[in-house]
Amino acid sequence: MAHDWQPDFEQLVDEHQSMVFSLALRMTGDRGLAEEIAQDVFMELDRNLGRLESADHVCFWLRRVAMSRSADALRRRRVRGMDLWVEMEDVHGASAEERSSPLGARLERLLGALPEAQRAALVLRYQEDLTPEEIAATLEAPLATVKSHLQRGLKLLRAKAEVHLKEYVRGGKYVGGA
Amino acid sequence: MDDFERELQQAFDRRPAPPSLKRKLMERRQSKGRRLWVRSPFFTWQWMAASVVLVAALAGGVEWNHLEEVRREEAAREQVLTALRITSHALNQMNARLAARGKATD
Repeated sequence: MAHDWQPDFEQLVDEHQSMVFSLALRMTGDRGLAEEIAQDVFMELDRNLGRLESADHVCFWLRRVAMSRSADALRRRRVRGMDLWVEMEDVHGASAEERSSPLGARLERLLGALPEAQRAALVLRYQEDLTPEEIAATLEAPLATVKSHLQRGLKLLRAKAEVHLKEYVRGGKYVGGA
Repeated sequence: MDDFERELQQAFDRRPAPPSLKRKLMERRQSKGRRLWVRSPFFTWQWMAASVVLVAALAGGVEWNHLEEVRREEAAREQVLTALRITSHALNQMNARLAARGKATD
Protein backbone atom coordinates (compact mmCIF):
# COMPACT_ATOMS: atom_id res chain seq x y z
CA MET A 1 0.00 0.00 0.00
CA ALA A 2 1.54 3.33 -1.07
CA HIS A 3 1.86 6.07 1.55
CA ASP A 4 3.85 9.28 1.93
CA TRP A 5 4.96 8.72 5.50
CA GLN A 6 8.78 8.46 5.68
CA PRO A 7 9.78 7.09 9.09
CA ASP A 8 13.19 7.74 10.61
CA PHE A 9 14.07 4.89 12.94
CA GLU A 10 16.31 6.90 15.26
CA GLN A 11 13.69 9.61 15.62
CA LEU A 12 11.06 6.98 16.45
CA VAL A 13 13.34 5.57 19.14
CA ASP A 14 13.82 9.04 20.66
CA GLU A 15 10.09 9.64 20.54
CA HIS A 16 8.83 6.34 21.94
CA GLN A 17 11.59 4.80 24.06
CA SER A 18 10.18 6.21 27.28
CA MET A 19 6.71 4.79 26.51
CA VAL A 20 7.98 1.32 25.59
CA PHE A 21 10.39 1.16 28.53
CA SER A 22 7.73 2.33 31.02
CA LEU A 23 5.17 -0.20 29.78
CA ALA A 24 7.71 -3.03 30.09
CA LEU A 25 8.90 -1.80 33.48
CA ARG A 26 5.40 -1.56 34.92
CA MET A 27 4.47 -4.95 33.56
CA THR A 28 7.63 -6.76 34.75
CA GLY A 29 8.92 -4.62 37.62
CA ASP A 30 12.51 -5.24 36.53
CA ARG A 31 14.55 -2.40 34.97
CA GLY A 32 17.09 -4.69 33.30
CA LEU A 33 14.43 -6.90 31.79
CA ALA A 34 12.38 -3.85 30.75
CA GLU A 35 15.41 -2.48 28.90
CA GLU A 36 15.92 -5.82 27.13
CA ILE A 37 12.24 -5.96 26.16
CA ALA A 38 12.37 -2.38 24.87
CA GLN A 39 15.43 -3.24 22.75
CA ASP A 40 13.68 -6.29 21.30
CA VAL A 41 10.54 -4.28 20.56
CA PHE A 42 12.51 -1.62 18.66
CA MET A 43 14.51 -4.24 16.76
CA GLU A 44 11.20 -5.77 15.70
CA LEU A 45 9.98 -2.29 14.75
CA ASP A 46 13.06 -1.93 12.54
CA ARG A 47 12.12 -5.15 10.73
CA ASN A 48 8.47 -4.16 10.32
CA LEU A 49 8.81 -0.43 9.68
CA GLY A 50 7.97 -0.80 5.99
CA ARG A 51 4.55 -2.22 6.83
CA LEU A 52 3.52 0.58 9.20
CA GLU A 53 1.54 3.36 7.61
CA SER A 54 1.58 6.33 9.95
CA ALA A 55 2.98 7.73 13.21
CA ASP A 56 -0.24 6.66 14.99
CA HIS A 57 0.11 3.18 13.58
CA VAL A 58 3.68 2.98 14.94
CA CYS A 59 2.50 4.10 18.38
CA PHE A 60 -0.32 1.55 18.44
CA TRP A 61 2.03 -1.18 17.15
CA LEU A 62 4.71 -0.36 19.75
CA ARG A 63 2.21 -0.52 22.61
CA ARG A 64 0.81 -3.83 21.40
CA VAL A 65 4.23 -5.45 20.90
CA ALA A 66 5.61 -4.05 24.19
CA MET A 67 2.67 -5.53 26.12
CA SER A 68 2.94 -8.83 24.30
CA ARG A 69 6.73 -9.12 24.83
CA SER A 70 6.30 -8.22 28.50
CA ALA A 71 3.67 -10.95 28.87
CA ASP A 72 6.06 -13.42 27.19
CA ALA A 73 8.86 -12.42 29.57
CA LEU A 74 6.57 -12.84 32.60
CA ARG A 75 5.51 -16.25 31.33
CA ARG A 76 9.14 -17.34 30.91
CA ARG A 77 9.99 -16.11 34.41
CA ARG A 78 6.95 -17.88 35.85
CA VAL A 79 8.14 -21.12 34.29
CA ARG A 80 11.48 -20.59 36.04
CA GLY A 81 9.62 -19.91 39.29
CA MET A 82 10.71 -16.30 39.80
CA ASP A 83 8.50 -13.48 41.03
CA LEU A 84 9.71 -10.34 39.29
CA TRP A 85 8.03 -7.84 41.55
CA VAL A 86 9.43 -9.47 44.68
CA GLU A 87 12.81 -9.42 42.95
CA MET A 88 12.47 -5.71 42.27
CA GLU A 89 11.87 -4.98 45.93
CA ASP A 90 14.84 -7.08 46.94
CA VAL A 91 17.29 -5.87 44.32
CA HIS A 92 16.49 -2.24 43.85
CA GLY A 93 15.23 -1.33 47.30
CA ALA A 94 14.58 2.41 47.40
CA SER A 95 15.00 3.50 43.80
CA ALA A 96 15.48 7.07 42.56
CA GLU A 97 11.78 7.17 41.68
CA GLU A 98 10.85 6.05 45.16
CA ARG A 99 12.98 8.77 46.70
CA SER A 100 11.49 11.46 44.47
CA SER A 101 7.87 10.23 44.62
CA PRO A 102 7.34 7.73 47.43
CA LEU A 103 3.58 7.46 46.89
CA GLY A 104 4.01 6.83 43.17
CA ALA A 105 6.65 4.16 43.78
CA ARG A 106 4.48 2.44 46.37
CA LEU A 107 1.44 2.54 44.11
CA GLU A 108 3.56 0.92 41.42
CA ARG A 109 4.60 -1.77 43.85
CA LEU A 110 0.97 -2.44 44.72
CA LEU A 111 0.21 -2.58 41.01
CA GLY A 112 2.79 -5.36 40.75
CA ALA A 113 0.74 -7.47 43.12
CA LEU A 114 -2.31 -7.39 40.83
CA PRO A 115 -3.08 -10.18 38.34
CA GLU A 116 -1.27 -9.63 35.04
CA ALA A 117 -4.38 -8.93 32.93
CA GLN A 118 -5.67 -6.32 35.37
CA ARG A 119 -2.22 -4.76 35.60
CA ALA A 120 -1.99 -4.52 31.81
CA ALA A 121 -5.38 -2.82 31.56
CA LEU A 122 -4.56 -0.34 34.36
CA VAL A 123 -1.12 0.53 32.94
CA LEU A 124 -2.59 1.27 29.52
CA ARG A 125 -5.46 3.24 31.11
CA TYR A 126 -3.43 5.41 33.49
CA GLN A 127 0.03 5.56 31.90
CA GLU A 128 -1.08 5.83 28.27
CA ASP A 129 -4.46 7.43 28.95
CA LEU A 130 -6.21 4.98 26.59
CA THR A 131 -9.96 4.39 26.49
CA PRO A 132 -11.27 0.88 27.21
CA GLU A 133 -11.89 0.46 23.46
CA GLU A 134 -8.27 1.35 22.65
CA ILE A 135 -7.03 -0.97 25.41
CA ALA A 136 -9.15 -3.79 23.97
CA ALA A 137 -7.62 -3.19 20.54
CA THR A 138 -4.07 -3.05 21.96
CA LEU A 139 -4.43 -6.22 24.00
CA GLU A 140 -6.58 -7.92 21.35
CA ALA A 141 -9.15 -8.72 24.04
CA PRO A 142 -12.95 -8.34 24.11
CA LEU A 143 -14.12 -4.92 25.34
CA ALA A 144 -16.25 -6.44 28.11
CA THR A 145 -13.23 -8.33 29.45
CA VAL A 146 -11.10 -5.18 29.44
CA LYS A 147 -13.81 -3.20 31.23
CA SER A 148 -14.06 -5.94 33.84
CA HIS A 149 -10.25 -6.01 34.31
CA LEU A 150 -10.20 -2.24 34.72
CA GLN A 151 -13.02 -2.28 37.25
CA ARG A 152 -11.68 -5.18 39.28
CA GLY A 153 -8.08 -4.00 39.08
CA LEU A 154 -8.98 -0.53 40.27
CA LYS A 155 -11.08 -1.92 43.10
CA LEU A 156 -8.29 -4.25 44.19
CA LEU A 157 -5.66 -1.53 43.95
CA ARG A 158 -7.84 0.85 45.93
CA ALA A 159 -8.33 -1.76 48.65
CA LYS A 160 -4.61 -2.49 48.81
CA ALA A 161 -3.80 1.23 48.91
CA GLU A 162 -6.18 1.72 51.82
CA VAL A 163 -4.34 -0.96 53.78
CA HIS A 164 -0.75 -0.18 52.75
CA LEU A 165 -0.73 3.55 52.11
CA LYS A 166 -2.55 4.80 55.19
CA GLU A 167 -0.01 7.58 55.72
CA TYR A 168 -1.03 9.17 52.43
CA VAL A 169 -4.74 9.12 53.16
CA ARG A 170 -6.31 11.92 55.11
CA GLY A 171 -10.00 11.76 55.88
CA GLY A 172 -10.57 9.06 53.27
CA LYS A 173 -9.02 11.17 50.48
CA TYR A 174 -5.68 10.70 48.74
CA VAL A 175 -3.14 13.46 49.11
CA GLY A 176 -1.10 13.78 45.94
CA GLY A 177 2.63 14.41 45.61
CA ALA A 178 3.69 13.43 49.17
CA MET B 1 -12.32 10.28 37.49
CA ASP B 2 -11.92 10.44 41.30
CA ASP B 3 -8.91 11.49 43.43
CA PHE B 4 -7.49 7.99 43.50
CA GLU B 5 -7.58 7.68 39.72
CA ARG B 6 -5.97 11.10 39.34
CA GLU B 7 -3.27 9.99 41.78
CA LEU B 8 -2.75 6.85 39.70
CA GLN B 9 -2.43 8.91 36.55
CA GLN B 10 0.24 11.06 38.22
CA ALA B 11 2.06 8.06 39.65
CA PHE B 12 2.05 6.30 36.29
CA ASP B 13 3.80 9.03 34.34
CA ARG B 14 6.13 7.65 31.70
CA ARG B 15 9.58 6.99 33.12
CA PRO B 16 12.61 8.17 31.15
CA ALA B 17 14.34 5.27 29.43
CA PRO B 18 17.92 4.58 30.55
CA PRO B 19 20.46 6.37 28.32
CA SER B 20 22.09 3.02 27.54
CA LEU B 21 18.90 1.81 25.80
CA LYS B 22 19.34 3.84 22.62
CA ARG B 23 23.12 3.25 22.48
CA LYS B 24 22.74 -0.55 22.83
CA LEU B 25 19.88 -0.55 20.36
CA MET B 26 21.92 1.30 17.74
CA GLU B 27 24.87 -1.07 18.31
CA ARG B 28 22.59 -4.09 17.84
CA ARG B 29 21.13 -2.55 14.72
CA GLN B 30 24.59 -1.88 13.27
CA SER B 31 25.87 -5.38 13.99
CA LYS B 32 22.67 -6.82 12.49
CA GLY B 33 23.31 -4.71 9.39
CA ARG B 34 26.86 -6.12 9.14
CA ARG B 35 25.57 -9.69 9.54
CA LEU B 36 22.97 -9.09 6.83
CA TRP B 37 25.70 -7.76 4.48
CA VAL B 38 27.79 -10.85 5.17
CA ARG B 39 24.77 -13.01 4.25
CA SER B 40 23.90 -10.94 1.16
CA PRO B 41 24.14 -12.62 -2.32
CA PHE B 42 26.74 -10.01 -3.37
CA PHE B 43 29.00 -10.98 -0.48
CA THR B 44 28.43 -14.69 -1.18
CA TRP B 45 29.44 -14.25 -4.85
CA GLN B 46 32.50 -12.24 -3.86
CA TRP B 47 33.48 -14.87 -1.35
CA MET B 48 33.01 -17.67 -3.90
CA ALA B 49 35.03 -15.83 -6.56
CA ALA B 50 37.85 -15.23 -4.08
CA SER B 51 37.77 -18.93 -3.13
CA VAL B 52 37.99 -20.03 -6.78
CA VAL B 53 40.97 -17.71 -7.40
CA LEU B 54 42.70 -18.97 -4.26
CA VAL B 55 42.14 -22.65 -5.17
CA ALA B 56 43.39 -22.00 -8.74
CA ALA B 57 46.50 -20.24 -7.43
CA LEU B 58 47.23 -23.10 -5.01
CA ALA B 59 46.72 -25.73 -7.74
CA GLY B 60 48.97 -23.76 -10.11
CA GLY B 61 51.67 -23.53 -7.46
CA VAL B 62 51.55 -27.27 -6.77
CA GLU B 63 51.70 -28.08 -10.52
CA TRP B 64 54.60 -25.66 -11.15
CA ASN B 65 56.50 -27.21 -8.22
CA HIS B 66 55.94 -30.70 -9.66
CA LEU B 67 57.12 -29.67 -13.16
CA GLU B 68 60.21 -27.98 -11.69
CA GLU B 69 61.06 -31.17 -9.80
CA VAL B 70 60.69 -33.30 -12.98
CA ARG B 71 62.91 -30.82 -14.86
CA ARG B 72 65.60 -31.04 -12.15
CA GLU B 73 65.45 -34.86 -12.21
CA GLU B 74 65.84 -34.84 -16.03
CA ALA B 75 68.85 -32.52 -15.79
CA ALA B 76 70.47 -34.66 -13.11
CA ARG B 77 69.90 -37.83 -15.18
CA GLU B 78 71.33 -36.13 -18.24
CA GLN B 79 74.43 -35.15 -16.21
CA VAL B 80 74.89 -38.73 -14.93
CA LEU B 81 74.56 -40.14 -18.49
CA THR B 82 77.09 -37.62 -19.78
CA ALA B 83 79.50 -38.56 -17.00
CA LEU B 84 78.99 -42.26 -17.81
CA ARG B 85 79.59 -41.61 -21.50
CA ILE B 86 82.86 -39.74 -20.69
CA THR B 87 83.98 -42.52 -18.35
CA SER B 88 83.16 -45.18 -20.94
CA HIS B 89 85.07 -43.25 -23.63
CA ALA B 90 88.09 -42.90 -21.32
CA LEU B 91 87.99 -46.61 -20.46
CA ASN B 92 87.82 -47.50 -24.14
CA GLN B 93 90.86 -45.32 -24.84
CA MET B 94 92.71 -46.93 -21.92
CA ASN B 95 91.85 -50.42 -23.24
CA ALA B 96 93.06 -49.51 -26.72
CA ARG B 97 96.37 -48.20 -25.31
CA LEU B 98 96.87 -51.33 -23.18
CA ALA B 99 96.15 -53.56 -26.16
CA ALA B 100 98.65 -51.60 -28.32
CA ARG B 101 101.33 -51.82 -25.59
CA GLY B 102 100.70 -55.65 -25.23
CA LYS B 103 101.17 -56.18 -28.94
CA ALA B 104 104.41 -54.15 -28.88
CA THR B 105 105.92 -56.23 -26.06
CA ASP B 106 104.99 -59.48 -27.82
